[in-house]
Amino acid sequence: MRKLLTLLLFVSFLAANAQERRIEFEEYDLANGLHVILHQDNSTPIVNISVLYHVGSKNEPVGRTGFAHFFEHLMFEGSPNIQRGEFSKIIENAGGQLNANTSFDRTFYFETLPSHQLELGLYMESERMLHATIDSIGVATQKEVVKEEKRTRIDNQPYMSFQAKIFGKAYEGTSYSWTPIGSFEDIDAATNADFRDFFETFYVPNNATLSIAGDIDMDETKVLIEKYFAEISKGTKEIPRPEIVAPELGDDTKEEVFDNVQLPGVFQAYRMAEQGSDDYYAMQMLTTLLSGGESSRFQKEIVDKQQLAAFVASFPFALEDGGLFISLGLANVGKSPEELEVSMDKEIDRVKTEDIDDREFQKLKNQIETSFVSSNSTMRGIAESLADYHVYFGDANLINNEIERYMAVSKEDIRRVAKKYLTPENRVTLYYLPKSAQQKPEDEKAVDDH
Amino acid sequence: MNIKNILSIIFLFGLGCSFAQLDRSKLPEPATPRPIEIGNYETFELKNGLKVFVIENHKLPRVSYNLLIDTEPLLEGDKVGYLGMVGQMMRRGTETRTKEQIDEEVDFIGASLSGRSGGAFASGLSKYQERIMELMTDIVFNPTFPDEELEKIRKQTISGLAANKEDPGAIAGNLNQKILYGSDHPYGEIQTEETTNNITVEDIKMYHSNFFKPNISYLAIVGDVNLKEMKKLVKKYFGAWESGDVAKPTYEMPSAPEKNVVSIVNRSNSVQSTVNITYPLSLPVASEDEIKVRVMNQVFGGSSTAKLFMNLREDKAYTYGSYSSLSSDELVARFNASADVRNEVTDSAIVEIFYEMQQMRDGKISDEEMDLAKNAISGSFSRSLEQPQTVARFALNSSIYPYPDDYYRTYIQKVQAVTREDVQAMAEKYLKPQNAYINVVGKASEIEEKLKQFGELKYYDTYGNEVDPSLAKLPAGLTVESILNKYLDAIGGKEKIAELKSVRMSMEASMMGQTLNMEVSKAAPNMSRLEMKMGGNVMQKQVFDGEKGKLSGMGGESMVEGDDALDMALSSAMFEEIVYLENDIDIELSGVENINGKDAYGIEVKAPSGKSSTRYYDAETGYLVRTTNTIEGPQGAMTLSTDFGDYAAYDGYYFPTTMKQPINPQMKMDITVTEVVINAELPADHFKVE
Repeated sequence: MRKLLTLLLFVSFLAANAQERRIEFEEYDLANGLHVILHQDNSTPIVNISVLYHVGSKNEPVGRTGFAHFFEHLMFEGSPNIQRGEFSKIIENAGGQLNANTSFDRTFYFETLPSHQLELGLYMESERMLHATIDSIGVATQKEVVKEEKRTRIDNQPYMSFQAKIFGKAYEGTSYSWTPIGSFEDIDAATNADFRDFFETFYVPNNATLSIAGDIDMDETKVLIEKYFAEISKGTKEIPRPEIVAPELGDDTKEEVFDNVQLPGVFQAYRMAEQGSDDYYAMQMLTTLLSGGESSRFQKEIVDKQQLAAFVASFPFALEDGGLFISLGLANVGKSPEELEVSMDKEIDRVKTEDIDDREFQKLKNQIETSFVSSNSTMRGIAESLADYHVYFGDANLINNEIERYMAVSKEDIRRVAKKYLTPENRVTLYYLPKSAQQKPEDEKAVDDH
Repeated sequence: MNIKNILSIIFLFGLGCSFAQLDRSKLPEPATPRPIEIGNYETFELKNGLKVFVIENHKLPRVSYNLLIDTEPLLEGDKVGYLGMVGQMMRRGTETRTKEQIDEEVDFIGASLSGRSGGAFASGLSKYQERIMELMTDIVFNPTFPDEELEKIRKQTISGLAANKEDPGAIAGNLNQKILYGSDHPYGEIQTEETTNNITVEDIKMYHSNFFKPNISYLAIVGDVNLKEMKKLVKKYFGAWESGDVAKPTYEMPSAPEKNVVSIVNRSNSVQSTVNITYPLSLPVASEDEIKVRVMNQVFGGSSTAKLFMNLREDKAYTYGSYSSLSSDELVARFNASADVRNEVTDSAIVEIFYEMQQMRDGKISDEEMDLAKNAISGSFSRSLEQPQTVARFALNSSIYPYPDDYYRTYIQKVQAVTREDVQAMAEKYLKPQNAYINVVGKASEIEEKLKQFGELKYYDTYGNEVDPSLAKLPAGLTVESILNKYLDAIGGKEKIAELKSVRMSMEASMMGQTLNMEVSKAAPNMSRLEMKMGGNVMQKQVFDGEKGKLSGMGGESMVEGDDALDMALSSAMFEEIVYLENDIDIELSGVENINGKDAYGIEVKAPSGKSSTRYYDAETGYLVRTTNTIEGPQGAMTLSTDFGDYAAYDGYYFPTTMKQPINPQMKMDITVTEVVINAELPADHFKVE
């Protein structure tokens, strides 16, 4: 009886699927090339102002890893009109909040302000785009701060070296082979000429997207944007966009990492399709199949039934020019990484060989729908999504209709991408093992043997 | 025509050039602020006492249900962790659904559902509003708590606890809890493997039946819903819930220490110290001081523009971030100032945190800092109103705590009315730089000396139990066996060692201008011979044939007998460590020592005669780096140590090539190994003892 009811409900859900809230926006370019996207929502008197610079760690020259992120820190140091240490205070004093982040592909700055302080937000962002000041005290301080950030987030945390190791192997020889945090040595090596060159090349209006969402008046906002940003000169240097071609890996690349961990960890990373491609959407659905919710296959089989893992997940680390489809599991006490890996592989093999049944496939679609609907609940989220969609996909309106791309994925597509990408030749595997399990100090021997 | 229209016209005519005189030296003037509006909510109560709040918000087609059961914290005793399992177990089977069915049904509609000891939460698309409520109430009212599911959770939990042993944040959390509140307070209980193993299904069932009562519960509904429909649904799904009396335990108030105390958990691989300066205090929710304290904390360490951040990060670059918190609490509030700092500035960071506490108490607070703090709090309050969940939180708080009716409506005014005098008064009352716990998780060997200036040092394990200082510095999970195995692996591995039949080492040292030559040879299983020559004369000779030994030298000769012979049998083994592992030798971990700048783990060995010695193994390489013996001399007991270094490979076996050997406590001899011969041909009577 319940089954029948469910089926009926399910039919009516499909009909109700049209339920949606459109996000209206306008977009245009200033003469200097700055791309502007505006979304008006007057329900709460706040506004989010964000600037996305299309530069990330992949734009760093060899020997300057970590530079884009370090530069992000320096962009809070001020301008000829904003004293060192004042940038954050001015925003907070106006009742606002600010932050920034740097990825492999881009650097993103934002302020959320009470809406009557819109002009202040525009002024602040235009100040740093026009003439950010980088003095030697700021550089010296932020070099140390960035190192502390790396220690806090990575060096002092179990397993956290995995990103650097996995990208280092999977994208060896390309600009994705290092992570945004970079290395201490490279950060120390940065010179004044590097800063000037980086600023003049990448922090130019024609490489930036200004995205604003919130309690604004469209016309007034356009005037204010013109007032603060029009005078900033277009960049004259060529903006390098490194080409990233994933290298051949060979059979099955594996590495054992002895770390300060108690539970062995298995990290499998498969090179994936670049974000926005058809295969990318199929891989997103595949992730949901493997690890979206308690009923997902990894969770149900590996954690619940076989009790091999304390934690298991799959997540696509999608990037502009590729990325990694990462599956990771932390073995339960007394379980080996080998048996955990076998069962992870088995679930992936099932995707390649077995049909997904209709109800499970419908579940994936419903899960994707919920997360799509929920993804635009804040002004900050909307501003960021609009900018990302524009920069990465050239279509800000995907904020409204990207869901169609997900819904176009078929069961066969999921199987096809599993077969195409989730193969040993396309994979890097890391085993994280407790240091106490380490057999011999191998490297020492290599040096001493004679 | 208003200003807005004029501006639009300028824009339309493309007169952007009129902005050429833009004065960038001044901050733009703000526009007229819009009044802050707090969203409305509706409320009703069921006959069984359940209070319901409905916050309609139609922006997105979503709904959430938050059921809050307002219980007092409970002591879990030797079953710490069972309260945390109540919610997990609720989701693992009801009278009509298995865990698998619940999981599938929830995921099928893209919803989320969770239980906890203090209630349950569910959310999803509003078109499934009834199914979501039905699923939530099913796990709240009809859980079956299956035994086999508890076993699964237990296993997961134990793995989670193991993982936490390496996580500096989790270790610091345990330490803070234990130090602040003690084991007899519900906030101070720490879950361990042992307490996890004590939990039974009965504990969970008992809690659920005693505490899940509507008369102490609140349901907050937020989202794209309609009040009338919700009234109907709530009655349908919560109406039959029966009320009942619920116990309200009370606890003793923990107190701040009389003077500062330093508590350390050693994490020997740490590259940063996690520092928390903390103490318990009384600051009830909705008390008079609450808003003033909020402003005081904001000035001190509440944001990335506060005193702590500006000093420790922006000025000194000790840390990625340093913050403080001081929140009200019904049972016991706490002050906490924290930072993760690199090892070498651990003490300096603590000095600066105390300095800033004192600045606050002395009223060294500028007008700018006051304005900044008040504006930041007001701004954060206004921004939070973007989320409809905020209104639900306000409704719940107003209902549970004695806040005046206009509390949230006048919140910003109250914040703005706080004066510098108020803030200084709050600092004097609540900031206690002389009565604080200084809790540090970090590499003890690098930081402990410099921490002594702040108070007595105490050492704790990762669960916050006080331990012997020398043992505290050992990494979690380290055993005698792991140290010995690492050593044996480092010098060639057990397999190769088993193949080793004999070894002969030649050594040289200079003493008082003379060259001293030594030859040590060993043959499996435990024959040994040592000869010391100076200028061609044998100064000393010592032979052991596997059973008995003999010492000879310039002063005559003597047989080694009794217990001493047993000791010599042990020291004559090719590698003593093999014997420790295979035979019944009394060995135990003695702690960690810094030897020549590197950490080494000590193992105390009690020889058959009862004499004890300690052998130290490098934490990094595994090599034996020192042995110490206590000798009874004319001036009482004294300790003599031999250091080993510069290990080198000989046919795949690793031996030290330098030794520093004591002649007496004041004098050491530098010995250099000149030759090592593996499986050397030795004369037939080489080890003969007559």
